[in-house]
Amino acid sequence: MNLLVIAVFLPALVGVVALASRHALRGAVAARAGVAVSIVSLVLLAAVWATRDAAAFAGEVDVRWIDAIGVRWHLGIDGISFPLTLMTAFLSALTCWSLIDDAPQEQTPDDPAEPSPDPEQSVVMLVVLVLVIQSAALGVFSALDLIVFFIFFELALVPMWFVINRWGDPHDREGRRVAATRFLLFTVLGSALMLVGFIAIALSAGSLQIPELAAQSPVLTGTVPLLGAVAIAVGLAVKAPVWPLHIWLPDAHSAAPTVGSVLLAGVFLKLGTYGLIRVLVAIAPEPSATLAPYLATFAVVGIIYASLACLRQSDLKRLIAYSSVGHMGFVVLGVATMSPVGIAAAVYASVAHGLITGMLFFHAGGLKRRYGSATFAVLGRGLYARAPWLAVSFAFAAIASLGLPGLAGFWGEMLSLRSAYEVGPVLDRGLAWTLLGVAAVGVVLTSAYVVVMLRRLVQGVPTPDDRDLDLTGEVRSEVGISVLLVASIVVLGLAPGLLVGVIEPSLPAVLGGGR
Amino acid sequence: MIDWDLAGAPLVVAIGAVVALMLDAFIGARSWRWPSLAGGVALGLAGLELLGPRGPDGLGLGLSLVIVLGTLMVLLSAAVMDHEDSMPPGELHFLLLASAAGAMCMVVARDFVTLIVALELLSLPSIAMVGLRRADIGAARGAWTFFLVSVVSTAVTLMGISLVYGFTGSLGFAEVLSRLGDSTAPDRAVVAAVVITVVGLLFKIGAVPFHMWIPDTYRGASIPVAAYLSVVSKAGAVGALVLVLGVPFGGYAAAWAPMIAVVAALTMTVGNIGALVQRDAVGVLAWSSIAQAGFILAPMVALGVAGGARAAVQYLAIYAVANLVAFTMIGLVRRRWGGTTFRHLTGLARRDPLGGACLSLALLTLAGFPPAVIGLVAKYAVLRPVVEAGYGWLALVMAVNVALGLAYYLPMMARILSQEGDEITVVEPSPSPPHAVGVARTSMVLGTLALVATSAYPDLILVPMR
Repeated sequence: MNLLVIAVFLPALVGVVALASRHALRGAVAARAGVAVSIVSLVLLAAVWATRDAAAFAGEVDVRWIDAIGVRWHLGIDGISFPLTLMTAFLSALTCWSLIDDAPQEQTPDDPAEPSPDPEQSVVMLVVLVLVIQSAALGVFSALDLIVFFIFFELALVPMWFVINRWGDPHDREGRRVAATRFLLFTVLGSALMLVGFIAIALSAGSLQIPELAAQSPVLTGTVPLLGAVAIAVGLAVKAPVWPLHIWLPDAHSAAPTVGSVLLAGVFLKLGTYGLIRVLVAIAPEPSATLAPYLATFAVVGIIYASLACLRQSDLKRLIAYSSVGHMGFVVLGVATMSPVGIAAAVYASVAHGLITGMLFFHAGGLKRRYGSATFAVLGRGLYARAPWLAVSFAFAAIASLGLPGLAGFWGEMLSLRSAYEVGPVLDRGLAWTLLGVAAVGVVLTSAYVVVMLRRLVQGVPTPDDRDLDLTGEVRSEVGISVLLVASIVVLGLAPGLLVGVIEPSLPAVLGGGR
Repeated sequence: MIDWDLAGAPLVVAIGAVVALMLDAFIGARSWRWPSLAGGVALGLAGLELLGPRGPDGLGLGLSLVIVLGTLMVLLSAAVMDHEDSMPPGELHFLLLASAAGAMCMVVARDFVTLIVALELLSLPSIAMVGLRRADIGAARGAWTFFLVSVVSTAVTLMGISLVYGFTGSLGFAEVLSRLGDSTAPDRAVVAAVVITVVGLLFKIGAVPFHMWIPDTYRGASIPVAAYLSVVSKAGAVGALVLVLGVPFGGYAAAWAPMIAVVAALTMTVGNIGALVQRDAVGVLAWSSIAQAGFILAPMVALGVAGGARAAVQYLAIYAVANLVAFTMIGLVRRRWGGTTFRHLTGLARRDPLGGACLSLALLTLAGFPPAVIGLVAKYAVLRPVVEAGYGWLALVMAVNVALGLAYYLPMMARILSQEGDEITVVEPSPSPPHAVGVARTSMVLGTLALVATSAYPDLILVPMR
């Protein structure tokens, strides 16, 4: 059996087994199994990549599935998707690790009327959902058939809704329900639009296979493909998210539990940006070229909007959530140039953002668990003095997030700005350079809010709190996760060639080099 | 001339109806088993006859199979009512099978008279079934509403048919098609006749603005009867609509297609909004079945050009299985826990893991969400002809409604899977529960297995329904 298929389905399979035997499992055991299966999945993906041959896609499977509507069971990974699959498996291994000795967050001191279910069961269920989400995301990144892509895309939604709805902010029951439902409605509406777009494209081109669509000649032109591309773009823009369709995001990210926030920021948003590359730019280049200026403009507006919003946040998790909108703006700007540099920037920035924002959310979640809230007012000042290692680690992630050279975040943003400078094949020079200028202002504003955040949180006169003591008794997984993430952020920052070398060979096929 | 190859299967079911009634009359003691057995055998024979070499082909076969299997599942799930003294088993099975025979005739009708007779044979027994529970004011009210709507809609259809007869001098579908083409009647008058004829059928499907009878009737009816109305009765009406729009009125697609598109859009939107505010499982399923009717109607805008009829039947078949599983489980909940409100559903999966899983999968199928891949494929199947026929706006409305649908299916599922919930005492009024409950559960599990199998291999259901 194909290794890629195993890598995609193994997590969900283990999840289902854990679900069936949940009464016999302890939470920590399930979480360890989750770590193990994620690592196995990661190793399998690496093996698929290492044993690739000259074909465009590694580990390609292509068998008949639904003859009645022409759907094929078609999976494979290339240089665009491989880094994202690795990141997904890595992040879900870390989230499972954080659940091993993470005290269950379900106890609800605020609401005595709410019965608190068995905490062990609760952890097992959470691990199951993480594993299903992991499988769904790996499926999206490796799908090469539009309908298979869509099925995996949707499969991730319902588990995430449960994660936010049931394990979200224990102090705001109503808030997390509203956040979960808004997240669901926005993304489902987006993906339903995307399905309509897929149908329009598939009817015009007569195929559902992504490689065939990407290599077809002559390229699709005309009204129907253009409308289809608009529908796909809007659907993915909700997911990415592109301003002004981001409004579901801050609530969902801040109400979600730590694992939910990490997976939302690290993996979910990438489904949107990866989709923009794989099922918009690659399969409908001509309509995408028409849409590119609008996408680029919205992306840059999003960068400015998000950094201004970040300056005004009083809640750490909301701040990180808004900062994601800004970072995704750089990614979408890169995609919208439709140039090799831009696409490489998008993939690089996606991976870097997944690692860095994942790390920020791990720490924000840790703080929230200890203090019961993530608002600056409750967290207080001077974490350097109160919890040295945590403050240093957090500050490292924050500085990586602002794009300091030598860390992973730098290369994505730098390449994205460079792609705007080089204009690319579809944008107009005046527009591209205007956007470049505005995005550069965004970079400055990003630095500003990160510095303000650090000033408010880790520096200043310490405001001791009797819960500070907990911070010294660090949870083992927190240290481990932090070390691994720091290492990967530094490696990607110092040796960008590692990742660019993987991405580069696949760029021509995505941008129509095969034609 | 009677085409016995086509009339055979409905006739077998009709004979089964009479046998069921007679068995009940002659056995004396109130027994659920014998009428039920007679009905099951009749449906099984009818199914064999349909699949035999001389049965109908194409859409007629697909729709007849949906009707036969749907009725069989209703018949099995109706066993949960065997403890209710107010529910007479002989009459129930007689009416159920008679009505199913009507539906089976309706989908293979080739002229308007057969269509109307079959429509009456479908409607009148189902009205009686709604009001069958003795000394139940809700049932009487539901039956009364249903009766009025049925009579009015049949009268309207008859009026349309008489106009058509006036223009063409014929009642056969094929003749009407050819004669309408070269008739000298004013175009506008023909369009009016077409619209009036179709309106009657839209009543039956429960399309907006003719949907108001559905919530009342479903709530008044017993749960298996509501399941019957939502699936078998609807399948008959869908079949008739596809036939009538496709064959005799095929030349006037430009006139009716926009109307169908608007009605479909309204139906799914109103149905979904109605379902959002319900606090009772039967209410949710009643309104959601209105919304689903909109999804079934939508591909009919492309009857001629893009395989719209096939898509409508494929969607109907998938919807039928999922809806019957859901209704069967709700019937079981009512029997075991005494009600169907959301309070009774909360924590259902903890009390009954298998039932909770089946109901959740059925809801996901109706919503069109993985892991119920088949539901998603069904949505794709109906969206595709709509896009192909150039109804972009309708496709957008459908996309919005997919999201709206999830907004109530998913919270309902979350309730079922919830770890919380009040302790609900088991009310098991019948002295002999296991047998009847077991029968209903078996049919539910088989239905769920069908959903699982078709999710893995959607061709299993898509190919036979072509």
